[in-house]
Amino acid sequence: MTDVPGTPGTADPGTTGAGGERRTSETLYYARRNPKLLIGASIVLLLLGIGLIGPLFIDHGPNQYIGPQSTPPSGEYWLGTTSFGQDVWAQFVHGLRSTFLTGTLGGGIAFLIGTTVGFVAGYKGGIVDEILNMLTNVVLVLPGMVVLIVAVAYLDVRGLVVQALFIGLTSWPWAARAVRSQTLSLASRDYVDLARLSGRRTWRIITSELAPNMSSYLVMSFILLFGGAVLIAAGLDFIGLGPAGGVSLGLMLESAVAWSALQLGLWWWFIPPGAGITLLVGSMYILNVGLDEVFNPKLREL
Amino acid sequence: MTLRVNDLKVHYRTLRGDVHALDGVDFELADGEIMGLAGESGCGKTTLGKSLIRLDGRMRHVGGTVELDGEELPIADDRAMVPFRYHRVSLIPQYAMSALNPTRKIGRMIDELLRSRGVRPRKVADELRRRLELVGLEPDVLGRYPIELSGGMKQRVVMVMSTLLDPSLLIADEATSALDVSTQRSVVESLVGFRDRGYVKSMIFVTHDISLVHQMADTVMVMYAGRIAEKASTRTIIEAPRHPYTRMLIGALPEVGTTTSDTRLEGIPGTPPGLLDPPVGCRFRARCPLASEECLRTPPLTEVAPGHRVACWKTGA
Repeated sequence: MTDVPGTPGTADPGTTGAGGERRTSETLYYARRNPKLLIGASIVLLLLGIGLIGPLFIDHGPNQYIGPQSTPPSGEYWLGTTSFGQDVWAQFVHGLRSTFLTGTLGGGIAFLIGTTVGFVAGYKGGIVDEILNMLTNVVLVLPGMVVLIVAVAYLDVRGLVVQALFIGLTSWPWAARAVRSQTLSLASRDYVDLARLSGRRTWRIITSELAPNMSSYLVMSFILLFGGAVLIAAGLDFIGLGPAGGVSLGLMLESAVAWSALQLGLWWWFIPPGAGITLLVGSMYILNVGLDEVFNPKLREL
Repeated sequence: MTLRVNDLKVHYRTLRGDVHALDGVDFELADGEIMGLAGESGCGKTTLGKSLIRLDGRMRHVGGTVELDGEELPIADDRAMVPFRYHRVSLIPQYAMSALNPTRKIGRMIDELLRSRGVRPRKVADELRRRLELVGLEPDVLGRYPIELSGGMKQRVVMVMSTLLDPSLLIADEATSALDVSTQRSVVESLVGFRDRGYVKSMIFVTHDISLVHQMADTVMVMYAGRIAEKASTRTIIEAPRHPYTRMLIGALPEVGTTTSDTRLEGIPGTPPGLLDPPVGCRFRARCPLASEECLRTPPLTEVAPGHRVACWKTGA
């Protein structure tokens, strides 16, 4: 999410004839001293690590009925078991993994489409803007969930990737609108005008003049799209259109609700997935604020 | 002769019709000439400046030609103009404060600009440092971000950047309006220095500020409502203007060169005419104290003395 094209951090080294050699070390210097960035990044990385490495240490499937039913957390079952005797910890680590995948892929696709449409529409203006804006508005007013249900229900292959693809293809419009309006205001600045004057290509101006000045905005969009994709995936999982035989934090949450974990007091069933999603999206937000302070020279503090 | 503009007409397209922002502008700019371009708001100064480098989307080239060093500028063709920009014609924008990308270090931005112009940054690196020193900047500004510089420093960076490729024509559009008076002076001096060293061949300096023009310009062109009212050497314009508009414009200023004045300064009553449907004849007629019957016909721009051209029927009087 941080590799927004043209962000100052990704400066091509060695091409600067005059100044800017200390670029990387300078970014690192500020990055290391920013508590928000450090806290956010460590939580996200921790969760990612759990999702990536955790499943390797568990020798049974997340949906296997292996233990006693409805036991609270213990030394053997770290997060207890469900009312069917499934290991909640195993479900959690596998769920975290697929949640990251859905979020990254679904959010990523939506982000790519949304920002591209937004930048081109906002920068080019005129007839291009009209057409892209119309397209955006059409997709925006489509009842996304219904389209998803219909599309996913008729698909033969039903996996995480397909689910993420469909989420990505339907959730980009607001990002496009947001990026477009930002672009409209930035495109009238003098430095964009000067760049235009120098006859640089449209995409060069977008990546070097426009995107870096709204990088925090872009990262923010990605994080919200990521969170949105996770939640939409959870919704789809709930109505039985999730990946066949899979597991995700959303699926855990919904099955906990479906099997009355709340009423039965099985808090270890619904708190981990809920906390997992909250923690993930929340720490990504903090990370974003931190990144903004690192990359935007105006917000830097010594 | 660096620049020759023949009967240039540029209109703004609006829903209610064309706004005749430039309506037949004719002038020449000699080698090494710094021309001050003065006039009220809306008289077409900025439009003229923009027309010479880049027409924006609403502007339409209706007629006339622009010749730079004997070569015609394809001003109506945005693409064809690209090779001329920065190499032959360059611009210092109105607000240098916002002319620098806040997320780019200055050195990197200049490199990018050079590369987009097909120039290897290394080839001009020494020259760049020399010129920065010339305007009183340390070469280490190249490693800084725009917010680390003061307004005057940014302005000077932009000046160096715009003139780095030795353009024939430099357009400075209100380049000093956002600066305080002492900074204005140093900026103006640097600009004159650039001309003296041959970094730029000639310059059009768009401004409201006649006293600033007096300091630096060789000639002054006064525009009114999309037309040229008068063009002459700075001295002539200040001391012996012929066009009634120029006279009133100069009269509305605290007198250049003196510190006290007995008489109350007079403004020019009325407002410039709308250019959506410009009046026939002399455009200054409605506000002119000398206006008479003959002013219903458009006065030609005639040379009343060598290098002094006026568009008024009353110049003989």
